[in-house]
Amino acid sequence: MSEGLIVSGHDPRFERTLYAHVGKPGSHTLDYYLSHGGYEAAKKALTGMTPDEVIEEVKRSGLRGRGGAGFPTGLKWSFMPKDDGQQHYIIMNADESEPGSFKDRYILEDDPHQAIEGMILAGYAIRATKGYIYIRGEYRRAYDRLLAAIEEAYTRGYLGKNLFGSGFDFDLYLHRGAGAYICGEETALMNSLEGLRANPRLKPPFPAQKGLFGKPTTINNVETIASVVHIVARGADWFAQMGYDKSKGMKLYQVSGPAVRPGVYELPMGTTFRELIYDWAGGVKEPIKALIPGGSSTPMLPFNDDTLDTPMDYEHLAEKGSMLGTGGVILIPERACVVDVIWNLVRFYAHESCGKCTPCREGVAGWLVKLLGQIERGKGKPGDIELMEDLLDNIEGKSFCPLADAAVWPVRGALRHFRHEFERHIEAGGCPVEKKGFWG
Amino acid sequence: MGFFDDKQDWLEIVFKNYPPENRRAAVMPLLRKVQQEEGHVSPERVAEIAEILGTTATEVRGVMSFYSYYQAVPTGKYHLQVCATLSCKLAGAEELWDTLRAELGVGPGEVTPDGLFSIQKVECLGSCHTAPVVQVNDEPYLECMNRERLKALLEGLRSGKRLEEIELPGDCGHEVRKEGA
Repeated sequence: MSEGLIVSGHDPRFERTLYAHVGKPGSHTLDYYLSHGGYEAAKKALTGMTPDEVIEEVKRSGLRGRGGAGFPTGLKWSFMPKDDGQQHYIIMNADESEPGSFKDRYILEDDPHQAIEGMILAGYAIRATKGYIYIRGEYRRAYDRLLAAIEEAYTRGYLGKNLFGSGFDFDLYLHRGAGAYICGEETALMNSLEGLRANPRLKPPFPAQKGLFGKPTTINNVETIASVVHIVARGADWFAQMGYDKSKGMKLYQVSGPAVRPGVYELPMGTTFRELIYDWAGGVKEPIKALIPGGSSTPMLPFNDDTLDTPMDYEHLAEKGSMLGTGGVILIPERACVVDVIWNLVRFYAHESCGKCTPCREGVAGWLVKLLGQIERGKGKPGDIELMEDLLDNIEGKSFCPLADAAVWPVRGALRHFRHEFERHIEAGGCPVEKKGFWG
Repeated sequence: MGFFDDKQDWLEIVFKNYPPENRRAAVMPLLRKVQQEEGHVSPERVAEIAEILGTTATEVRGVMSFYSYYQAVPTGKYHLQVCATLSCKLAGAEELWDTLRAELGVGPGEVTPDGLFSIQKVECLGSCHTAPVVQVNDEPYLECMNRERLKALLEGLRSGKRLEEIELPGDCGHEVRKEGA
């Protein structure tokens, strides 16, 4: 255990950082943060490193975007123009809305200064003197805490002019969403922030060329930006010790559904489902038949030894035909109906489709949700499953933004592993599962 | 009198969050302010916001209709939003919703005769580990809402208590915010 890569939360070398202070009394205050090494990383970078050195350190760490797509963060930052004389923007995507995901919330609620420090570092690296935190409107406590933390940081000189005497100015603003999943897509988010309907924009131009208010912009997830604080503080090598090959660092995994202790668990990337569910989340409360590995858009996997022994990272989950996504694991109990579960998710995507492009509007929000509803209600006809598969082929990869793909993937996963449940609905002319008794 | 007439200082603070040439970026905070204080955003308020931002009512309505939070029709003093997405569903959100509907005798878009309650199904609130979740207006979430806790909530609100004064019985049965140790 003491040599090689760290891929288990039991490894004595593993130490929690992102969630080290979550749940501790007073952890949201500046005094608490400062007494636990707060703003040391920002000071170190602004007074001792060039912006390019910060980007290089992040590149070397192997950090990849934690919002779901897994794009290398340092590379994304390096797309920003240099010395172009324009205002640059850094945006923190705190629109956490992927069903099964609730990891960013407690960073914002219990450790808002960690988010602010990460924004200073990211802003410095990409030469942005202005940053926005786009927070989903429903996260009321997180908003209150962030607002207070930003004020505190301004008052004590951790935001504003000439930070740490480095000559670097940084202003940070908060913008609240109002309930629309699509705002998690980066160009839709920028439209929302500009006061437009949150339809995604055509790319190119990419945000690094022409983003918020038409200026070069980088958008990163909360966990991604918070991770940078620890990469700068402890070094890229420390970060890259955790996780396999191309999936490095620590990760905030989430467990929901019938686990004994559902919640957020910070673990090294590459920890197995078995360790997460049984060692950290305390096991399961009832028989489980499937799990959704990383938020609602990731294809479900059967709940068996093969799945449980899979390391939770980008590559190992791709090998299983699924994805790491946000790391939000949802346990599906044996007594639930898979068709009903998938209908619930597709209904979600149908509701959240912005209606801009035909494959999503007509495919997801029209045909797909109707077909699934029909099958679940016992109105499915022979051939409907094949019709649905044809429909999936005509949606996937053909929509304007990834929302439609996110609706297709869970259906594909369900059909791959639980096709018999769909067939049984059509044969029996109804759902064989009793829907009562889930509420305690 | 306009809604924002006596809120010029507040408006000034809001506009500082956006570049001066992008005033319309403030449409969301302005809509939220009206929704918070009046329980819905009437056509008159839409027109007022449009004028303040130098845009048209149609543009403001376009933004407004995009999001689930802003309401075009009046809501109750307590607008109960029930998360209906998967993890909450697996914890009984549908039964919770049916109970709430029966108990209050209202459907979506309606308000109880006493003006106290309206209900809405919403999508994932990001609290899947404390399912099922209910949000009242834009206050912090009410988590692990079993029958007893829902009953206590409704009784408390009916008796005139403010939300933060109401004690919900029991808890989630597990740590809610933690570092995994």
